[in-house]
Amino acid sequence: MHTTNIKLILLIALTSISNISYAEKAPFESSYEPLPYTNTIFRNANIYDGEGNEFSETDLLIKDGKIIAMGADLPGSSEFIEVDASGKWITPGIIDIHSHMGVYSAPSVSSSSDGNESTSPVTADVWAEHSIWTQDPQFALALKGGVTTFHVLPGSANLIGGRGVTAKNVQRNTINSMKFPNAPHTLKMACGENPKRVYGNRKQAPSTRMGNIAGYRKAWIEAESYLSRLVEYDSKSDEAKEIGYKPKRDLELETLAGVLRGEILVHNHCYRADEMAMMIDVAKEFNYKITAFHHAVEAYKIADLLAENNICAALWADWWGFKHEAYDMVQANVAIVDQAKNGTGCAIVHSDSEIGIQHLNQEASKALSAGIKAGYNISKARAMNWITSNPAKAAGIYKETGSLKVGKNADVVLWSKNPFSVYALAEKVYIDGAIAFDKNKELLPHSDFDIGILNPTKNRIQE
Amino acid sequence: MINKNIFFLALLIVGANSIIAQSIVIKNATIYNGLDNSPFTGNILIEDGLIKKVSESLIQGDKVIDVNGKIVTPGFIAPGTEIGIVEIGSLSVTRDDESNIYNIGFSIHDAFNPNSTLIPWNRSNGITSAITLPRNTSSPIGGLGSFFVLDSNLNVDSKQDMVMIGRIGGSGSSSRSEMLSLTDDILSFASSISSKDIRTNLDIDSLIDSSSIADYLELKPRDIKALYKLANENLPLIIKSNRASDILKLIELKKKYNLNLIIMGAQEATLVANQIADSKIPLIINPINNIPNSFDELAANKNLSSRLENAGVLMMFNYGSHNSHLMRQGAGIAVANGMSYGGAIRALTSNVASSFNLENRGSISPGKAADLVIWEADPLEPSSMPEKVFINGIDMDLTTRSTRLRDRYTRNLDKPNTYRD
Repeated sequence: MHTTNIKLILLIALTSISNISYAEKAPFESSYEPLPYTNTIFRNANIYDGEGNEFSETDLLIKDGKIIAMGADLPGSSEFIEVDASGKWITPGIIDIHSHMGVYSAPSVSSSSDGNESTSPVTADVWAEHSIWTQDPQFALALKGGVTTFHVLPGSANLIGGRGVTAKNVQRNTINSMKFPNAPHTLKMACGENPKRVYGNRKQAPSTRMGNIAGYRKAWIEAESYLSRLVEYDSKSDEAKEIGYKPKRDLELETLAGVLRGEILVHNHCYRADEMAMMIDVAKEFNYKITAFHHAVEAYKIADLLAENNICAALWADWWGFKHEAYDMVQANVAIVDQAKNGTGCAIVHSDSEIGIQHLNQEASKALSAGIKAGYNISKARAMNWITSNPAKAAGIYKETGSLKVGKNADVVLWSKNPFSVYALAEKVYIDGAIAFDKNKELLPHSDFDIGILNPTKNRIQE
Repeated sequence: MINKNIFFLALLIVGANSIIAQSIVIKNATIYNGLDNSPFTGNILIEDGLIKKVSESLIQGDKVIDVNGKIVTPGFIAPGTEIGIVEIGSLSVTRDDESNIYNIGFSIHDAFNPNSTLIPWNRSNGITSAITLPRNTSSPIGGLGSFFVLDSNLNVDSKQDMVMIGRIGGSGSSSRSEMLSLTDDILSFASSISSKDIRTNLDIDSLIDSSSIADYLELKPRDIKALYKLANENLPLIIKSNRASDILKLIELKKKYNLNLIIMGAQEATLVANQIADSKIPLIINPINNIPNSFDELAANKNLSSRLENAGVLMMFNYGSHNSHLMRQGAGIAVANGMSYGGAIRALTSNVASSFNLENRGSISPGKAADLVIWEADPLEPSSMPEKVFINGIDMDLTTRSTRLRDRYTRNLDKPNTYRD
């Protein structure tokens, strides 16, 4: 009876009351403004559009920071800068759904190791954006690899590690001015070895996988109770509100309630197939949705289950063996997830690495090659979705970016060669129509860290 | 009767030999021989596990494999791995890379596991042999690595204790100056050891008793023997080091003690490239890694390999252990950023052989072991895989645990998964 009530209340919360605010104004709002943009027409490009299509000798028009048109022989005008893209390739800006840039900055020193609040197994109250060091020199390196948007998560020491943040790869000296406007918040959860090792070593819960599952369920029970108190208060008349007490704000439960209300997207670090299946059960028990499993080295064992539940898997092409739960690596993992249930699976190639983020195109290339060897008929155009539109969907920003659809943000990469080749380099990278990196003009952002650190008269990288 | 048995036995042996001795010709290959900058089209004769002949004209053989112009390279040699002594990184019970008793003379050789899953996986990606190193010991130099052929044979083909390792740099516990002084003291002690000091364990014990450094480092007889080998047998010494100023100090040490020095990491090598070239110090670098991961590595950048090549520095490429083979993706990235293609192939093959005195490996030349890879396409494209891998002339099976798991979850799906192959 009690649970039925809660489910009823949750249903009300999710359907009829769309905007319960417990803070007066959402804190830490994005103040992002694009760089000064140019209106540009790319001529005769080969294009992967991020929607599974490939075009050759095609023009692409960007204006006022948006994609305006794509097609053969588009009319130009003096207001457009013409870029000859003959023999070159254009893709959407690359999106990394799993980055720790800024929370594990370079150099890797204790003073900027800010990714794991490993003081309690549930820290839903912490936000990764509050750890980000905006002078991390890694942002610019990722930009050179064509990355225009990245999603930063807390680490995986905790069962529930805190909120993630999606940022534009436009390095600035405050995080609010880098945050992707209106991108949904996300929640990092973690299965398996990490939480049970971190807390088990301290002789506290969880020390086992069953302890992990109990830990999630206890947290969600608290969240349900908190949400029902909020809903109950919010449904009162104005008079009743005046004489009653508003439930006290609780940062941890606000985050979890945000998940139960479908506003915060769950990104779940989970390697083993059996654990992912259990996490789906936990999500069903508490009526929330898992947006993506991350790392998911064994996703290929339950690819159909993931597709049926509309859950993405964010994967490496070939990392393995560093932990027991990462032992069963299959290079075709990405392709098997992609092709599940008649090609309705959602596969993402992610980095979780400041090095890997610089060549996600090559990682996708390896995953594609392995998929073809496994017998799948997958095009390069489709594989491009693994690092563009699919991560955009998982970050909740697909309406704005992730493909070259007319009307979307002009996040565009011009590659010297086919981006599935190791020899391809990003030549120009545009974010919201503004050129953020230009290889030939040596236009590259430098963080404060890079300035005069090896030689007072120079920047750190001389390339 | 006895004679007859011997006769049959002899026949059997001859028979067995004749099967092994069956010659193979790889025909119409685009050969990157691991030495020259440009490839040539030719044919390779394999016999008795060796490359017998490389020629642009036709060669006769028992078995001919026409590769229709596909690229053939020497098997790649991973110069700094833990292949064979680690199975799962985070599980210490599967690691054999550390010692609590031995220090400078700690050898990982006998721990090598030819059944490790890392071996078929790296082999199927074109790695045919590897140098396996222990983890750092408590001393700034010490720990002995060995060379292993990755043919999964329980009768291990190896070159034991052929390299010593060490490290110089910011440690977080004590000054790098202390590490440099200690290294200098150890090397000085090593060069003072004479052959009669190590004739018997009793001799070694009395040497230890009379040496303050041996006493301070609590050296054991094995450690003393390793130091003697370092000072007297031209043993390669890999020092892991990154900062430009440290590299210059290592160049001084090389000169002072006539070391066969190799520097690994070397993220700031571009700042002292000419000095490295003049001192003829080979480097082991990971061309993928351009992260300024410590204050010792601030000059890290993607042009490291092309700039070092221009300065005339000899390089080898490495990348971890489970995926050592990604050193070829690193080689591709090096080429994309300005290195020559032939130079990148050498960094995966003959440069390793020459730096580590592996006389019979690392190039496609007559007399070398037939460690060869036939590639489906460009070997520096990570999407391209080997079609065939030969080790000591044997056509290796390229099945891995990973491909078995893949097939189990993509084939015969009508059966319950635990009843599939």
